[in-house]
Amino acid sequence: MRVVVVGAGEVGFHLAQRLSEEHQDVVVIDSDADQVEHASQHLDVQVIRGNGASISVLKRASVKNASMLMAVTSQDEVNLVACLAAKRLGVAYTVARISNPDYYEPDSVLSREQMGIDLVVNPERECARETFLLLKNAAFTQVAEFAGGKVQLVGLKVREGAPVAGRTIRNLREQFEGGYHYVTAAIVRDGKTSIPKPDSTIEAGDLIYLLAPTAEMEAVPPLAGYDRFRLKRAMIAGGSAEGQYIAELLEEHGVQCTILDRDRRRCVELAEQLPRSLVLHADATDLELLEMEGVSGVDGFVASTGNDETNLLSSLLAKEAGARKVLSLVHKFEYLKLVPAVGVDASVSPRIAAVNAILRRVRRGRVVTVASLSRIEAEAIEFVVGASSRIAGKALRDVAFPKEGVVGTILRGEEIILPRGNDVLLPGDDVIVFAMPEAIPEIEALFD
Amino acid sequence: MSLRKVANVVGLLQAFVALAMLATGLVALGYGDGDAGAFFVAAAVTFLVGWATYMATRFDEDVTTREGFAIVTMAWVATAVFGALPYLLSGTLDSPVAAVFEAMSGFTTTGATVFSDIEALPHGILLWRSMTHWIGGMGIIVLVIAVLPYLGVGGMQLFRAEVPGPTPERLRPRITQTAKLLWLVYFGLTAVLAVLYLAGGMGPFDAVNHSFSTLATGGFSTRNTSMADMSPFIQWVTILFMYLAGVNYALHFRAATGRILYLRDEEWRFFTTVLLVSAAVVTVLNLLTGSSTGAESAVRDGLFQVLAITTTTGYVSADYEQWVPGARMVLFALFFVGGMAGSTSGGVKALRVMLLLKAVGNELRRHLHPRAVLVARINGKPIKGEVAARIVGFVILYLLLCLAGALALALTGIDPLTAIGGSIASVGNVGPAFAGLGPTDNYGWMTSPGLGVLTFLMLVGRLEIYTVVLLFHPELWKARGAFHG
Repeated sequence: MRVVVVGAGEVGFHLAQRLSEEHQDVVVIDSDADQVEHASQHLDVQVIRGNGASISVLKRASVKNASMLMAVTSQDEVNLVACLAAKRLGVAYTVARISNPDYYEPDSVLSREQMGIDLVVNPERECARETFLLLKNAAFTQVAEFAGGKVQLVGLKVREGAPVAGRTIRNLREQFEGGYHYVTAAIVRDGKTSIPKPDSTIEAGDLIYLLAPTAEMEAVPPLAGYDRFRLKRAMIAGGSAEGQYIAELLEEHGVQCTILDRDRRRCVELAEQLPRSLVLHADATDLELLEMEGVSGVDGFVASTGNDETNLLSSLLAKEAGARKVLSLVHKFEYLKLVPAVGVDASVSPRIAAVNAILRRVRRGRVVTVASLSRIEAEAIEFVVGASSRIAGKALRDVAFPKEGVVGTILRGEEIILPRGNDVLLPGDDVIVFAMPEAIPEIEALFD
Repeated sequence: MSLRKVANVVGLLQAFVALAMLATGLVALGYGDGDAGAFFVAAAVTFLVGWATYMATRFDEDVTTREGFAIVTMAWVATAVFGALPYLLSGTLDSPVAAVFEAMSGFTTTGATVFSDIEALPHGILLWRSMTHWIGGMGIIVLVIAVLPYLGVGGMQLFRAEVPGPTPERLRPRITQTAKLLWLVYFGLTAVLAVLYLAGGMGPFDAVNHSFSTLATGGFSTRNTSMADMSPFIQWVTILFMYLAGVNYALHFRAATGRILYLRDEEWRFFTTVLLVSAAVVTVLNLLTGSSTGAESAVRDGLFQVLAITTTTGYVSADYEQWVPGARMVLFALFFVGGMAGSTSGGVKALRVMLLLKAVGNELRRHLHPRAVLVARINGKPIKGEVAARIVGFVILYLLLCLAGALALALTGIDPLTAIGGSIASVGNVGPAFAGLGPTDNYGWMTSPGLGVLTFLMLVGRLEIYTVVLLFHPELWKARGAFHG
């Protein structure tokens, strides 16, 4: 499959990288010479220098042979025009990165169809959503949503003395009968990821990944040895677009929220947009002020300025002062590795969030959603069972499912099923599969 | 500042006032009390002067903001002066000052009167009093804008200067259409009330007069005892319609056309809550002290007087001066509140009171969070800092004006409590006040200087201070032509 990516900035670069790793033919278009140079040196893709919104450049990228175009430059208008042009040139599926809600809100004058866009992604909103989920579920280091939010995949570290520690998967299922509605999708021990078998043991210190209906997730942290956590007060340092969206989500969920920014005019904007939040005109690293405003008592703290160094410093100060869960937005990939080292609870990369958001929602054949997780190699993939799928109509125990994969949950209409050996997959079922990369082609074949 | 333009528009407006006089004169002719001639002469003089001024000063340019202030103020002054003619020509009043006072009290919907025996007045004069209320309630200029689209762009300046409330709502893109809709709602409500009064056993003449007076939140009655001797049914109907007249007319229109629910409007909730809480307090106090007999009459008296004061109608159903101090103090506080912005009532307006409270709340909050950036909201919409500041400024100016008025009245030899009450009741366009100007008294005993002060206060209060006070600001008259907008 040929995919054209317009924009080789951080989002475009990462997107092209992921797609090329999935053996797609990728063409990257960017007008900046340095970006073009960087992409052609580091990626196995074709790189074209030029304006992605120009017809001649798109023709040069032989866009008419492409099945998909993803316009992910930082400029909404360029992305819009690129999608519009690509659609006219015959591209089947277009994705546009759009930040200004005026362009994609339902009451917008120009509908998505008229603009020739199949999928609109707002990176800042995706990032805010992910940050919010992490904040709300303090024990989790990672959260990904499936099936429109009905199912979640979460990662968390098992603590010493936790109820699940020292038990085998089979034992858990039997012991917690009626109370353990989770599928253990992966265990990460000493940096190595494995898909657990029924006799695998969960140990304290493991990073485990669980799949379950969103409604059941509240009971997960106690099982892994965490106190029950309720997010009541939160502080957001940095009134970036992401920061504002996080505050909006917090307000929606009745969390008392304080947001600060060092630009006074931005503060007025925030105060106008956020009726229930307290807006402060202050610097994210002003410890005295953070303490006066009660940073030591907040349940959640997010550093969300546009500057990574400020974010890391600010979240360190907050952690030091006693904030319970501290998150930081980290833009530079190189810094992501630092996050565990500096003691910040979790980080969110706006770019990775955007890339995930795109890949998760692009329907490729039978695949609906892919979630790549930053600390492990395994991926969660949402498949739709077709009438002619080899796996359809069979009980799970009779399918030769690869060892490096596990069927996480089955969605049948409104029903969410945690699969057992005797469950049968029916055409139309949404199936979330968790697998190591090497097992993916084999699993894809089962669903074809 | 072009006086030519001012004279032109003011002249035109007088032609309309003359039409109202003519209509009243025809009714007076029907009753045959002998006052019809006074109306015809007054109408002829007013029309000739107005029309001649208008014809002599025609212009093509637009009206600027500054000219708008001058036009509106002068229009109201001229209307009160010409509106006083029927009183003088019919011989019901001898003093020109008293006649202008009565006319100004009518047009500003204050409802303060110099007459002690109202029932002795001829029908024409009685109708004229109610007519001045009704015209002044929605506004002379709003009426003319509704009829005459020619005022055009300048119309908005005038509209803004006359309509009560900080920022008048536009229901339609064109100001003429907005003005028409407002008058439509106003006229419709008046007609409904007149029918209800008739159904309640009121005579046709009284029904028309009282419905004019109620919807305008005026307070002139055709009875010496105001509403005190009316049946409970009439009083309840009046309670309802005083309330309706105190609500924003634009909100009425939008609610009637199904575009918004009253409950969704924050100012409406505030206004209604203030009314209900105040009425409850007054009712309970009156029941406890025996000022009212029986639960129904206690509730009715409480609601009636609270509404009469808050909507600045100024009807009287019970002599509240006989009530306990607590109940009287509640009423005193309500003298300042007024109805909703965009209603026919006077006072500070519920919207401004609400915003003032929010601004005060924000200041308190700022003490807890010195770096906080706080924005006051109405209906969820943020209010810009300068708008909030202007409203705080307005309230301060309002209170200063009340104080200055009281001082001026006291200088004419009136006792302080009466002076304070008279000043507040006039600025707020309420009518009855306290002590020597209580609900059972009238303004007939006052000297000409005192009446002059009150006339001025009523005008300034009706035009919401800035419009009039700006005329006394030297900068308005300087820099002529340098600034258009």
